[in-house]
Amino acid sequence: MATVLLVDDDVELVSMLREYLEQEGFDVATAHDGEAGVHAALDGEQDIVVLDVMMPRLNGIEALRRIRAQSRVPVLMLTAKGDDVDRVVGLELGADDYVPKPCTPRELVARLRAILRRTRSADSAEAASGPVLAGPLSMWPERRSAEWAGMPLDLTSTEFNLLEVLARNAGRVVSKSALSESGLGRPLARFDRSIDVHVSSIRQKLPAREDGQSWIRTVRGVGYQLVRE
Amino acid sequence: MGRLFWKFLLAFLVSLLIAGAGVGTVVWLHNSGEQERTPPPGGPGGDTLIRSAAALLASGGSAAVGTWAAELVDGRTQALRIVDEEGRELLGRHVSAGQIERARADESAALPGQLVRRVVAPDGRRYLVFLPPELLPPRPHFHRPPPPWPPLAAVLLAGLAFSALGAWYLAKPIRNLRWAFEGVAAGRLDTRVAPRMGSRRDEMADLGRDFDRMAQRLQGLVGSQRRLLHDVSHELRSPLARLQAAVGLARQNPQKIEASLDRIERESQRLDELVGELLTLSRLEAGTGTLRREHFDLVELVASVVDDARFEAQAKGRDITFAAGDEIIIDGSVELLHRALENVIRNAVKYSAEGSSVDVSIQSEAQGQSVRIEVSDRGPGIAEQDLGSVFEPFYRGANANASGGFGLGLAIARRAVEAHGGAIVARNRPEPGLTVAISLPLARPGAASMPAA
Repeated sequence: MATVLLVDDDVELVSMLREYLEQEGFDVATAHDGEAGVHAALDGEQDIVVLDVMMPRLNGIEALRRIRAQSRVPVLMLTAKGDDVDRVVGLELGADDYVPKPCTPRELVARLRAILRRTRSADSAEAASGPVLAGPLSMWPERRSAEWAGMPLDLTSTEFNLLEVLARNAGRVVSKSALSESGLGRPLARFDRSIDVHVSSIRQKLPAREDGQSWIRTVRGVGYQLVRE
Repeated sequence: MGRLFWKFLLAFLVSLLIAGAGVGTVVWLHNSGEQERTPPPGGPGGDTLIRSAAALLASGGSAAVGTWAAELVDGRTQALRIVDEEGRELLGRHVSAGQIERARADESAALPGQLVRRVVAPDGRRYLVFLPPELLPPRPHFHRPPPPWPPLAAVLLAGLAFSALGAWYLAKPIRNLRWAFEGVAAGRLDTRVAPRMGSRRDEMADLGRDFDRMAQRLQGLVGSQRRLLHDVSHELRSPLARLQAAVGLARQNPQKIEASLDRIERESQRLDELVGELLTLSRLEAGTGTLRREHFDLVELVASVVDDARFEAQAKGRDITFAAGDEIIIDGSVELLHRALENVIRNAVKYSAEGSSVDVSIQSEAQGQSVRIEVSDRGPGIAEQDLGSVFEPFYRGANANASGGFGLGLAIARRAVEAHGGAIVARNRPEPGLTVAISLPLARPGAASMPAA
């Protein structure tokens, strides 16, 4: 059973979502402002955090920044529909995914499950397969840890998943929709920039190649490719 | 350089040329008049030279004049001739018989301006002092005027340069203004002209400042509209999110359908209220042209609002006191003022502690020129830095509970009060608590001059 932390200033909404999620088999913790949310998210009890962007005092973006400074717990952002800035900023700061608000509780649960599945898949099935190796990159899905030429990489769980997909297909071009399916656990939506934002933050965490190019190559109109050499 | 620059340049240049031509003509006329009065052949100095030589000869004799003439070596003195009656030259200079003849003739003719003089030396000998015109050095300055083209070209060039400078000085601020207008028209409301005007101090700079003020105001208005829209979409989203959650709960568990339907009903009512309040606010913001004014007793209006609110407050364990004097007749909209007072008083009741009371008072001020209504609660008050923003749409204090209204009540109250030419302010009480003070003008000499909200 997974523990979900709901952080939203709308008390009534949180109580209804809690009811819904509990019925779906989640353990639910709640917080009604950013500061309490950050505090609860960092207590180590949470499997996933649902963070509303619009909150009084400490807003969701700032709360996410503080959470990411100390923890890689998966974070799902609730962003206002049509507010692309919040969405992109959130993903750049290391949110694992976003759900536009208002959304149906069913959609929320689907997203939660997708993220949880990704972060947990490593624990069971693929544990035996050993490290994924691609050039200087080594990834241990069971430990959720990755190294670049012996140096540990600090990746969020979504970034880890995406890089893992690219590493398993190193040298080949992976389409964005395949990355979305296997990395985010959902089909690619139209005008969805999530994959690009995540890939861009992975790029920033990898050292540059000798020729100054990135290890992850963009194949325009198709997808991304992790270069072996 | 724009067309205006060239126009200014042309205008300056033409006026400069006309002025130059005028001055030139006057000078030319003056000069030609001067030249008609032919100067003496030896110039003004020639006559002086003759007189000096004559005086010296008359007093000091031939020796003195000889010494004097030897000292002076300029061309004119070199031309001086002093001849005695026998035709001998005193200074040992060459002199022809013709020159002497002509000098004698001139002397006897005694014409003014002739460069000749008869002198009697102390020894009694007679001399003729004269300057033969042919021996005088040429005097080009007087007779040959310099060619007029170099100074004319210089004047023209200088004129062109100064005209260009003047035209640029006038055209530049206009170009700056144009740039700024284009900027604002393209939606860059942060365009300001002042930095481009430099230290200029004239009507152009004033115009630039006026433009900046206008742009600032526009920016403020557009910014507040944008903020309002953003807040509105957020406020609409919250009840929608709750609606969806309620629907989800009902779907998930059919046993919860009744409770969910209640919630859905509540949320749709809340949406309806929100839309209603937004419409009121936007009507007030758009101006008050349709405001229906009437004379009525403000005390009675406040009393009725207090009575209504007291009924609800007492149900929640709070009370309202009301202190008022005689009737105060005001000219305004009953509906708007009712709404403003209701919002302020309900707000006070909402935030006052249980068991306490809200104090409402009304009194006329400034010799009956205005009226002051104060609503004081015994709640937590608000942070000093937020006192100004409580009247902004969607402001919610840190102590506000999430379900308590939309934060539009006080914004509507402010617009309504301002539409009546009044003011509304909030201040913290020492107790603690919050006092909202509304002051409304009573004397309205120009009822039509209602400030836009």
